[in-house]
Amino acid sequence: MRGLIRWSSKWWPGTIPLAVLWALAAWTSAPSLETELAGRSTAALKGILLDKSRIAVSGRDVTLAADAFSEEGRRHAVAAIEAVPGVRLVNDETRLIPEATPFVWSAERDVVRVTLTGSSPLPASKGKLLEAARADLGGVEVVDQTGLSRGAPPNFDEAALLLLDQVARLKDGKVAISDTKVSLSGMARELGGREAIAAALKNLPAGFSVASNEIKAPPYIFQANKDPVAQTLTLTGNVPDNNVRAAIVAAAGRKFFLEKVVDNLKTSLGAPSGFANAVVPALGALSRLSTGTLVVADREVKLSGDALYDVASGQLRASLTKELPQGWQLKADISVKPAAAPVDATVCQQLFSEVLAKGTIRFESGRSSLDPDSAGLLDRLVEIALRCPSANIEVAGHTDADGDNATNQTLSEKRAQAVVDYLVKPGLPASRFSAIGYGSTQPVAANDTDDGKARNRRIELVVKEQP
Amino acid sequence: MMFLATFHWGWLLATLLLGFAMGWIAVVHRGHGVSKPMAGWLAVLVAALLAAALARVVPGRPGYWLDLGLLMLALYLIGCAIGSWLRNRVLPGPAGAS
Repeated sequence: MRGLIRWSSKWWPGTIPLAVLWALAAWTSAPSLETELAGRSTAALKGILLDKSRIAVSGRDVTLAADAFSEEGRRHAVAAIEAVPGVRLVNDETRLIPEATPFVWSAERDVVRVTLTGSSPLPASKGKLLEAARADLGGVEVVDQTGLSRGAPPNFDEAALLLLDQVARLKDGKVAISDTKVSLSGMARELGGREAIAAALKNLPAGFSVASNEIKAPPYIFQANKDPVAQTLTLTGNVPDNNVRAAIVAAAGRKFFLEKVVDNLKTSLGAPSGFANAVVPALGALSRLSTGTLVVADREVKLSGDALYDVASGQLRASLTKELPQGWQLKADISVKPAAAPVDATVCQQLFSEVLAKGTIRFESGRSSLDPDSAGLLDRLVEIALRCPSANIEVAGHTDADGDNATNQTLSEKRAQAVVDYLVKPGLPASRFSAIGYGSTQPVAANDTDDGKARNRRIELVVKEQP
Repeated sequence: MMFLATFHWGWLLATLLLGFAMGWIAVVHRGHGVSKPMAGWLAVLVAALLAAALARVVPGRPGYWLDLGLLMLALYLIGCAIGSWLRNRVLPGPAGAS
């Protein structure tokens, strides 16, 4: 041992080549060592969730700069690099991504594109949402302006995906999540879209609630056009379902005795409440016009056309206003058809017979009140009566043979009188009209079938020259 | 340390051989050795450098160079010790007997 100490005093000359070796080793190995450590550190971070991670190596010291999504993730990342063999020190320059309060995410759709803004909790969910938006909105440009933030509510991804599905149903508008509150605004692409969105929102993940849903639906439009030349009533637009459709078509069939009903309706969700109750009386008003168009848009009824005579215009306007359900509006633009040239009594009789051959004046069952469905037909009779200034008109009521004769007699008289009352309303002199009831004494068909009885229940107008 | 050893095995082996050679020569060397006070100062210097390395106070590349230098020095000294000891064993005569 003593020898070793003695000899060691003479080891110093070797330190000169040692120093040279050291210098060479230090100089040549540093870059390759740093590359090696950078590679190993990067590999160690794989599977740890970080954003914008950068690794810089100087000697054996690793500087890690990154945005972490949680304190735990941040510690985890530093520990993973510290565990890399060869690493001496880790300079921790990681930081937590900012916390968003409230955590807001939104998707806004305009004419050409969908823009995602606000915060996403993780790069994975950001990517997933962008991909889902592209898939849902095939062809529409999607611009992702979201940043990353902490503080997302649980199940954020599911809620955002559900809302993106709704964006596809919008023509334009915005869906947004603010913490656990969801708000929507805009215009649905199609009728029924608003209802579909409201239904879909029921599937929001637990914890989320709808703060506001201001999705508007496009106007719900129903149209009817009466064309006297083609003798058609064309129904177009929307009805809520097939029952309402059948009811409307049946009502149109009763009210329009002359016209063929062309049904081009389609069923759509989103009808305003009271739709059928508004459309049926509006069709009644349209039936009293010579030519006209009915447009029902949401809760607004627009009726335009020509009334057959002056008084009818005011009458139908007033009665429709009364019949429309609460909250509905009427916009009537009704002019009066110019009066036709007067005709003599023979032509007059012919015109009455022609009209009455095509339609029957209806009454409420067993009573003498006129059925509102017959208003169109009665107006047509008034129009003819106005053209026959020189004629006296006998209104004859007939019944079928059911019931006792006295009742039938009274009923036929009352019904004839009801028709006379209607005919004189426009200002025709009552003296020119006479109401006569014949009961069941003048059948035109056998009373043993329903069809025959129906033909026997009738009103006839007989024109008589003034003496 | 294991990482440095595997990464730099070539350089370290060279250092070990250099030390071995120096140790081999030192036994029969007739030149001046390092004086005792000087050796003391050198020991203090090495201890200080070792402390600095263990405390990891030197940052970045200089820190790495320090680690590498100390490792090479250690291997050099080990090589010297082995070299001197072996030479002493194989050397006949009074030097070997002492």
